Amino acid sequence: MLALVTASALFLRWLPNHGLPILLLFTVSAGAALAIYLTQRRRYSARSHGVAREHVDADITAVLWTAFAGIALGALGIGVVLAG
Amino acid sequence: MTNSQQAPGDGAPPSRGKIAERLLPGGEEPDPRFTLANERTFLAWIRTSLALLAGGIAIEAFTSDLFLEPVRKGLAIVLLLLGMLLSAGAALRWLRVERSMRHKAPLPLPLIVPLLAGAGAVAAAVVLVFVLWR
Repeated sequence: MLALVTASALFLRWLPNHGLPILLLFTVSAGAALAIYLTQRRRYSARSHGVAREHVDADITAVLWTAFAGIALGALGIGVVLAG
Repeated sequence: MTNSQQAPGDGAPPSRGKIAERLLPGGEEPDPRFTLANERTFLAWIRTSLALLAGGIAIEAFTSDLFLEPVRKGLAIVLLLLGMLLSAGAALRWLRVERSMRHKAPLPLPLIVPLLAGAGAVAAAVVLVFVLWR
């Protein structure tokens, strides 16, 4: 989550050079960080109860969304560099 | 209790969700510590990927007086591309490891390690040559 916040702050540094498209990158990055922040308590609780029960379901949706956010940020970043 | 065991009074094993059953078919739920360790490894790769994305932005935004524009853009794109590949590779590795653990098979080799090492070495060599040449 903190890495995403840091990346979103760095994206803002691009704003004077590349203009408004950077806000899309910032929104994706900060949005992913916010989603993690808002769901971390529920996920922590599920995991800690899972360890106690010795049964934890693999959180495939969270893994896929996180990977998708990284891919989307990279693709948008490349688009901005090529367009700029 | 493993996933293959049935809940008391229930005729069928508990559902894991459509996506999980499609991407992680069969096998048994591994030890929760291994599942969590696999997730931590995935998150470590994602942090590396985000560092590369941030590095790509930093190269593009902060080095205009150091590198020529084509070199600067090229390095930024290489780092951003590597960050993307690492994100996708991290998810694929997580899936492959999770499948192996469910089927009690040997863990797969990490294919993103040589990718990261090779690309990192190439990027460092390009920067070194450019700085020395300049």
